[in-house]
Amino acid sequence: MLSIRNLHARVGDKPILKGINLEINAGEVHAIMGPNGSGKSTLSSVLAGRDDYEVTDGEVIYMGQNLLDLEPEERAWAGLFLSFQYPVEIPGVKNIYLLKAAVNAIREHRGLPELKAAEFLKLVREKLKVMQMDEAFLHRNVNEGFSGGEKKRNEILQMQLLEPTLALLDETDSGLDVDALRIVGEGINRMRSPDRSVLLVTHYQRLLDIVKPDFVHVLANGEIKLSGDHTLAKQLEREGYEGFEAA
Amino acid sequence: MSGFSEWLADVKDVHAPEALAVGLPTKRVESWKYVPTRGLARTTWQPANPKATEQFALTGGEFVNVPTADGLAVSDNTLTASEQKRIDEINQAHGFGLTQAALENSRLALTIQTTASVVLNLHHLANQANSAGFSTLIIRVEAGAQLTLVEQFESTDADKANLSSLRCLITLARDSSVTHVRFQAANPAAHVFSNLDVECGENSSYRLQTIEFGSKLARNDIYIALAGREASASVNGLAITNGSQYHDTHLAIDHVVGDTNSEMTFRNMVDGKGEATFNGRVLIRKDSQRSATEQSIANLLLSGSARVNPKPELEIYADDVTASHGCTVGSLNKTELFYLKSRGLSEADARAFLQYAFAEKIVEEIEHPDIRELVETQLLGELKHGELIAELKESVDV
Repeated sequence: MLSIRNLHARVGDKPILKGINLEINAGEVHAIMGPNGSGKSTLSSVLAGRDDYEVTDGEVIYMGQNLLDLEPEERAWAGLFLSFQYPVEIPGVKNIYLLKAAVNAIREHRGLPELKAAEFLKLVREKLKVMQMDEAFLHRNVNEGFSGGEKKRNEILQMQLLEPTLALLDETDSGLDVDALRIVGEGINRMRSPDRSVLLVTHYQRLLDIVKPDFVHVLANGEIKLSGDHTLAKQLEREGYEGFEAA
Repeated sequence: MSGFSEWLADVKDVHAPEALAVGLPTKRVESWKYVPTRGLARTTWQPANPKATEQFALTGGEFVNVPTADGLAVSDNTLTASEQKRIDEINQAHGFGLTQAALENSRLALTIQTTASVVLNLHHLANQANSAGFSTLIIRVEAGAQLTLVEQFESTDADKANLSSLRCLITLARDSSVTHVRFQAANPAAHVFSNLDVECGENSSYRLQTIEFGSKLARNDIYIALAGREASASVNGLAITNGSQYHDTHLAIDHVVGDTNSEMTFRNMVDGKGEATFNGRVLIRKDSQRSATEQSIANLLLSGSARVNPKPELEIYADDVTASHGCTVGSLNKTELFYLKSRGLSEADARAFLQYAFAEKIVEEIEHPDIRELVETQLLGELKHGELIAELKESVDV
């Protein structure tokens, strides 16, 4: 599904990603772990198309297309979803406007008919229940005044509605208390399916207790230093990232 | 020479000779330095004729169909000493003030009687090609009375220059309150001048919501004096400037006495070759202790040739004062755009969402539901790609 080959990216003059290679097949859940500043968030941002980063070498093939040639919205239409580490507040726009506009934009590109108001409300209420969110969230401005945990739940709510083929979850566990972590983790698990892949970026192992990855990779200093199965996460939790830090 | 010279030469008003001599203000006058006066100078202006209407309206410089309501009285339009002093200041504020005074067609004085509660809807009808109307409205709000004043502008397809000028003096007696909503969506050839002078007595409150989309040129001079203790004023404004429009608001709030409160929030959104000027001045005088003021000015530039001239001015001479202020100028936020696009919104829809959001922060404050609805509908009509939001509002708002 996703093939990252020798990906190099920088911010300004500073190289951040220094030759990432990664293969993700349909149905797989991969976790990328690593110390702060290792390039984890840069990787998910580059994949989603944020233009603060300059790709200097390498390629990313997603479902047969050159992902880096696509605009962020074209990536979303092609089934890519990024759950933001810091979800953006948009005062003045109601959450429900964004949700409905997004769902229908993506349905249009999948050749599906537009959801009418009643159908959409039925769907969104069902997903709100899963995420244990009150309906009042729909009529509040996008992420404005939401707590950290509410913002992350809102991201996973969006993911549930948009049904991506490849979900990139950037530090979705940060800032969550135990209950919210469980709700978010279970929300992600519900999305697992043979034709959907997930790339989880995280510093800690705790989310991986709930969402058990098929593969774990250690990213340090812009490169994948080690890959293994889910037991690698446990090992990192015990031993820390020492030994990976050195350039 | 100005486009008013012939007319001024014809009228007998005491201000006419001076107005004729001074002419229109030039770029050298600080408060007029951005105002494009060419269209005013090139048109040979004539008096406008009132149009037939059944609404309470300002047309051809005349007030027609003044409503009757309990607690509302048409009063003697002779100015009180204090009103005369305020009008004199407006006359002298800039060269156009004298022209406004000399060409005044009509003057209406209304009293909102003690403890009454009155709603007034004033419709500004468009004047004919090359014609102008000048009028003055005096509103005296007696103790404990409440007034809601809504001003709306007729939008037509006029392509020839037309002009309307309203000088409005509002005096709030103790414990009274005024909510003033002004929605200017005048025709694209209109030149709209508004002088608003408000005096707030003890424990009175004045709230202005001004939304400006229309006209070719609009100039607002607003002066609010907090003249009695515990008086408060709040102004919320939005100007959407596009094409070759010019919008200009000069707003001053004067804390004449202490224990007074003011709030000023103004947003400009400028696209195309539009230009917007906002001058927001707050004066807290030396003895006006325990006063508080909040000022926030935001400017959104949507094109490379759009221009904005924001000028916040805080003059504080008292020492026991709470003041906050902020002024920003920028284009649409990249992170916000990326967020929306990453959810599948097209570039155009994402931009429309953020423009709507910028304007909505002001529009959502309008308490009058019919007017808010009207403004929102027109706002979405103004935005490029506003249809998606219009449809969303229609379908999911409950």
